Amino acid sequence: MATKSFADLAKSNASKRGMPHIRACFTPHPVWGKTAEQLMAYVEGDDPVSGKPLMKEIIDGLTVPLTAEDTKTGMMDVNVGPPIYGPDTLDNLQKHFLDNGMTDFLPIILPTPEKVDAMLKGTSHQPDEVVGKMAAGAYAAWTFNVRQVAVNAVMAGCEPEYFPILLAVASSGMAALGSSTSSFAYSMVINGPIRDRLNMNYTIGAMGPFAQPNAAIGRAWTLIGKNLGNGGIPGDTYMGSQGNNTNYNNIVIAENEKDSLWKPYHVQKGFKPEDNVVSLFAGEDIRQGHGARRAGVLENPMFDDQISDIFRTLTSQFDALVICDPLTIKRLVEQGYDTKEKLTEWLWKNTTRTARDYRDSAFVYTFHYPRALRGEEPYKTWYNCPEDTQIPYWPKSDNIVLVCAGGQTNPFFQVGNLTYRTSVSIDKWM
Amino acid sequence: MKRRNLLSLLGLAPALLAGARTQAQPTDKTPKSGKSGAAPSGAQFTALNPKGSPPPVKLIPMAPRLDTVHGKTIYLVDTGFMSGGVLLQQMQIWFQKNYPDVTTIFRKKAGAYMEDDPPLWKEIKANGNAAIMAIGH
Repeated sequence: MATKSFADLAKSNASKRGMPHIRACFTPHPVWGKTAEQLMAYVEGDDPVSGKPLMKEIIDGLTVPLTAEDTKTGMMDVNVGPPIYGPDTLDNLQKHFLDNGMTDFLPIILPTPEKVDAMLKGTSHQPDEVVGKMAAGAYAAWTFNVRQVAVNAVMAGCEPEYFPILLAVASSGMAALGSSTSSFAYSMVINGPIRDRLNMNYTIGAMGPFAQPNAAIGRAWTLIGKNLGNGGIPGDTYMGSQGNNTNYNNIVIAENEKDSLWKPYHVQKGFKPEDNVVSLFAGEDIRQGHGARRAGVLENPMFDDQISDIFRTLTSQFDALVICDPLTIKRLVEQGYDTKEKLTEWLWKNTTRTARDYRDSAFVYTFHYPRALRGEEPYKTWYNCPEDTQIPYWPKSDNIVLVCAGGQTNPFFQVGNLTYRTSVSIDKWM
Repeated sequence: MKRRNLLSLLGLAPALLAGARTQAQPTDKTPKSGKSGAAPSGAQFTALNPKGSPPPVKLIPMAPRLDTVHGKTIYLVDTGFMSGGVLLQQMQIWFQKNYPDVTTIFRKKAGAYMEDDPPLWKEIKANGNAAIMAIGH
């Protein structure tokens, strides 16, 4: 039983999991926020999809004998179309890709065999080598090879020298489109000499549309999630109620290692400075630091305090990725934070809220409360302590990540409500 | 996106998901190789399919049905979405009123909604005759 809004999804997911005739029934939508009396009316009312009384449908679903189709076994192939389209005109092929949900609804570079072959020259790996598996929703993961990643890289406008980054990202199995009703955002932090070799932008406008590799690599990640992981089909593999504009090309951050006074992020993760690494994050969004209390202080601005203040607007379902301009880092170093660890420790200890506010926050009921119930710390303590107890936003200071990007036109910072997922070697895919 | 287009991306005929008894049919309506719909004067190109490779789906037979719910034990399983438990508790009241000989057992599945709960499934198989799960918002 699900709500009406999930009718297509329920049947589609059941099909993809091998039960195309599953007996599902539906209540009106939503259930969340309704009183017990209103929900009793749902129970006593009709299924809004079938128009039949809900409880009769449930009883029938449990008792009406199965048909031969209901008990069928075997395998069912899933068709994704021919390996090659055309010959046809550029316009017709462009329209075909658009109409069949294979794009981000912006024009693509058509993945002709010639362009795909050129992309494949960006790696020493063989075209048929399996790169990984990906599922953007609750279904069996799709497999893909080097050539299939190359097709999406071409479509996004990538150059062959960008290709190892995309292979590294794809090999993680992480799609940049989630199936949740939340409209998630995704980010990648790129470290190592490859940033300069590709002329990635990490100075003025570092996270804006001002450099081809930043733009195209981020866009390709979305296309990879759509086409290789079967994600981004509204009502089926994508249910984000409002959508997220960053999904067009994601939040791509080439770290400004040159101007930062702190250790680069990949070195924090155990890589060497000369290694090329992409680190992936997922979560809610990204926001500017301008909204912090005391952000307009003219003398002696305290960025530790401002960052902490922005943290209070985040959900604790996801962690914090703080992107500091080099000027901000200089100021923080002057304050005594000569390492990232010193600042993350201070932020973790000093950003707190009452247990009452924690328990009332969105996501906590769904994700933390079940962990508290089975005794997992710190959630168990956070759920059982007095309401006025001050508790941190996250279990550990490691839940706070600091990176550097920006062109030093002003000492600003931005904060992503984003959780670190994994770091992948780009060199492995050269 | 229209639902028909959406389903075609899955390689499934819409009728299949609507519950009709039919085989899955490829519904791709593209200009396939050698079937050009292009203007005769336009330059011709080919393009590679950007899709990954889905695994075949293993059909799972549905569990045997009950001859009746009278006298049976039915588990009502809350997966943890907001207010889902309240809805199922109303259903429990409905059963008490309309099917007093049915025993209903309310359980909240352990973990967040995406996590499995093998001990609960084991309990239901051992002690229950059927289960109703409430999923979603």
